[in-house]
Amino acid sequence: MKRVILVQRNEPTNDESRNIRKLIELQDLARSANYKVVGDVTQTRRPDRKYQIGRGKVEELALMMEELGADGIIFSNQLSTTQIYNISETCKCEVIDKFQLILEIFAKRATTKRSKLQVELAKLQYELPKAKAIMSLLKKEERPGFMGLGSYEDSYEQDIRSRINRIKKELASVQKDNESLRIKRHEYGFSIVSLAGYTSSGKSTLFNALVDEDVHVEDMLFTTLLPITRALNICGRRVLLTDTVGFIEDLPHWMIDAFRSTLNEIFLADVILLVVDASESPDIMRQKLVTSHDTFWEQIKGVPIITVLNKIDRITENELKERLENVGYLTPNPVAVSAKNGLGFDELKNEIYRQLPKWKRETVSLPMSEYGMSIVSWLFNEGIVHNINYKDRIIVDFEARDEIILKARIIEKKDKHGHNHMFT
Amino acid sequence: MYNIIAVDISGRHKINDRYYMVCAAVSVSITAEHIERVNQIKIKPFWLDSAPELTDIIQVIEDTAKEIEFGGTIITEHGEMYNQPERVVASMFSREFKYQESLGDRSSIELAHHISLCTRNLLLSELGIES
Repeated sequence: MKRVILVQRNEPTNDESRNIRKLIELQDLARSANYKVVGDVTQTRRPDRKYQIGRGKVEELALMMEELGADGIIFSNQLSTTQIYNISETCKCEVIDKFQLILEIFAKRATTKRSKLQVELAKLQYELPKAKAIMSLLKKEERPGFMGLGSYEDSYEQDIRSRINRIKKELASVQKDNESLRIKRHEYGFSIVSLAGYTSSGKSTLFNALVDEDVHVEDMLFTTLLPITRALNICGRRVLLTDTVGFIEDLPHWMIDAFRSTLNEIFLADVILLVVDASESPDIMRQKLVTSHDTFWEQIKGVPIITVLNKIDRITENELKERLENVGYLTPNPVAVSAKNGLGFDELKNEIYRQLPKWKRETVSLPMSEYGMSIVSWLFNEGIVHNINYKDRIIVDFEARDEIILKARIIEKKDKHGHNHMFT
Repeated sequence: MYNIIAVDISGRHKINDRYYMVCAAVSVSITAEHIERVNQIKIKPFWLDSAPELTDIIQVIEDTAKEIEFGGTIITEHGEMYNQPERVVASMFSREFKYQESLGDRSSIELAHHISLCTRNLLLSELGIES
């Protein structure tokens, strides 16, 4: 396990609590990528062009590296190529920033072709603006081409660009397949419910508890990289529940774009479950909820959100009340649950049922025959049958989506007019 | 459900050496994700000769919001206040202020934005000013 020192430059205008939270997040990220954190350094100042933090602090850092026997440095702030070069020259070790760390985690967790492509795309997009600087730093002495008039930079950058284009094309075709799958699911009468929320808020634990499955859960960030979907029965309605990748503060746009297809699962859902860790302090909860609302804003228009306050087993009832008073204005349709103990699941399922696209209730009368019975069995499959009465005819009181009700009515009408079509 | 005053200013760029700005303040009752009711809307035009500074913007917002009869925190986008930290801006206001947070806040500001933009376009075309 590599030993690392974490470094964070704080903006003079930032709140102290935000700085602490960012550092804790970086620690969690480092742990997720299998690094051992042996120390941390913070400095409050404006960014330095050459070193990001002050030059004196970098020298201090070099001494600290020797003392603690660390092998690398991870910066919380985004570093330019020159900064990485300068710091690694002074400290004689590998230097990476938070975004490269996130990419490392993604690369480790990526298992399918689609996620591997996404990780490669994000990596290339991270590398692109640095391509020129990397080449000129590496080939300082060399001058390529006739009379030294050519350059390495352009060809390297061009190479990255063409690779980005190729991957985007491949991803688009994969995405198309997924979209057609989603349309099909809607056609088959499934409603789609997505779990969204900050990393480590307990989405996967809740997912497992709800669908009674064993999805990989760890006390780490980004354990879920690919959306996992399972069927679930909510008060008779068939629902597909999707577990998705967690949000993170200040995720750069190029990274969000690269993982768009993962987030798409959230944006195309019928209901969104926004999972929040209620055991955290109200201030942190507020910050995380704002980040989540920020991510939702551009993408979802009118999709109902249920705020799931998770981990209530860790706090008292009064604490929960206090948190709800503090952040209530950021929590649409709040439901308190404990994914670990199964507390509050009934309320959650009722709330999901309330927010699902509405189904209509209808009564049809069918002939008492083999054909009529086949329609009844079809209605049982497609909707919720509330009441069924077998007399001269079969009277079915059921609830279903519009298309099913329409089909049932047509069947009823045709039957009354003496047609006896076999239902297909 | 609670009341807020969402504010948006349009026209912070120079046209014919002047700044023709329109500020819209909207008092709305909102929940975390929706606007439930629009209580009152106030629109005010402001013509400035120099580029608006943070203090000018605050004055413009205060002047428009004071005509609203309903109470509530003033809410704007970060960019409206030149991305200054919330505590700095809040300390300059004479009443409660915060940046947008929930989806309800954002929808309200979107509403204010449409109002201020449309009003400004209408005023400029009425006055025969080319934008």
